[in-house]
Amino acid sequence: MRQTLIAALAVLAAWWTGPAGADDADRAVVGRFLLVDMTGRPVTDETYAGKIRLVVFGYTYCPDICPTVLNTLSVALEHLGADRGKVVTLFVSVDPERDTPAHLKDYLVSFPEVTGLTGSAAQVAAAAYNFKARYEKQPAADGDPAAYSIDHTASIYIMDRAGNFLARMPHASAPDRVAERVRSYLYPKRDDQ
Amino acid sequence: MNMPRRAFLAALAALGLPLPARAKVAQGLVIHDAPKTLPPLDIRDGDGNPAGLEALRGQAVLLNLWASWCMPCVAELPALDRLKPKAAAKGIAVVALSLDRGGKIAVVNTYARLGISALAIRTDDARAAAEKLNASVLPISLLLDAQGREVARYVGGADWDGPQAAAMLDALAAGRPLTPDMAPPLARVTIAP
Repeated sequence: MRQTLIAALAVLAAWWTGPAGADDADRAVVGRFLLVDMTGRPVTDETYAGKIRLVVFGYTYCPDICPTVLNTLSVALEHLGADRGKVVTLFVSVDPERDTPAHLKDYLVSFPEVTGLTGSAAQVAAAAYNFKARYEKQPAADGDPAAYSIDHTASIYIMDRAGNFLARMPHASAPDRVAERVRSYLYPKRDDQ
Repeated sequence: MNMPRRAFLAALAALGLPLPARAKVAQGLVIHDAPKTLPPLDIRDGDGNPAGLEALRGQAVLLNLWASWCMPCVAELPALDRLKPKAAAKGIAVVALSLDRGGKIAVVNTYARLGISALAIRTDDARAAAEKLNASVLPISLLLDAQGREVARYVGGADWDGPQAAAMLDALAAGRPLTPDMAPPLARVTIAP
């Protein structure tokens, strides 16, 4: 089991340095972005100054299976109770071609506490680069050019009130763990500082 | 299956490696080595009354998790609606549990839009089912034995009309072990629900 694990890690490490580039590990996550919100208004990270940000990258067109991460975030906000107003939850589309502002607005009716962000291909690429989030278009098996899927970083990013990186949590994190982590940043303990 | 993966991810984290860009989720039928006892779920009916799985003890259950914002989930509902009476004849209850927030509204609208007639309204008002059932993607269909234990799960939308599904449900109803050859093919999303 241990050996399998080490072998798997070796394979993964070899694979990982490929597409990412060797310098990626040395780069810090930066929370800067210039995107467009669901009303088509340009927004930057400074638009959300003063709020802790929960940020996920994704897209609304999931052809086969859909991640439940927005559900997780929405439940995490419920756990935060009165503190939820101190947090903004941003869903950054990595599929600006199909996720227009109007489409994001329709889709996020199911998640009214989540702000959808999109933009030009270049704006989305720049935001993802800063967050060190990756995404890659995958052609549909049947060759339908409109039915592509997108592999993407599924982590939940937590950024501070100025947009600086605090933490990255796995997409399958339990909502109460996400809420707990946010609360730990809202109310830092003295001895942690 | 679960533990090595968890250990693997923990090892990755410990090495400071980024998590895989997209936590690849295997689709299709996953048969468990041993049946898993489910945590209690607070399932509600269309009137908000408790409609838990306890009432279904003694018969096998197909518990489908879906949400109105999940296109492949919605696309699968008509097949489950057709399956329900056929499964009932085998002694299997089909339960479609919506993970939508806000109770039954999204369910009522979706059922009306699709002309769903057999499936009952079942909601996860406590918004805890995804976490409790370890569902990081949707749709997922859990196959429960007569004791309410999960013997297998199907990740993604299944072709419920075919011979494989019939054979699989026959085995489930009879309490016989499921085998990989019974796996229904993945359903292709062909409509824009």
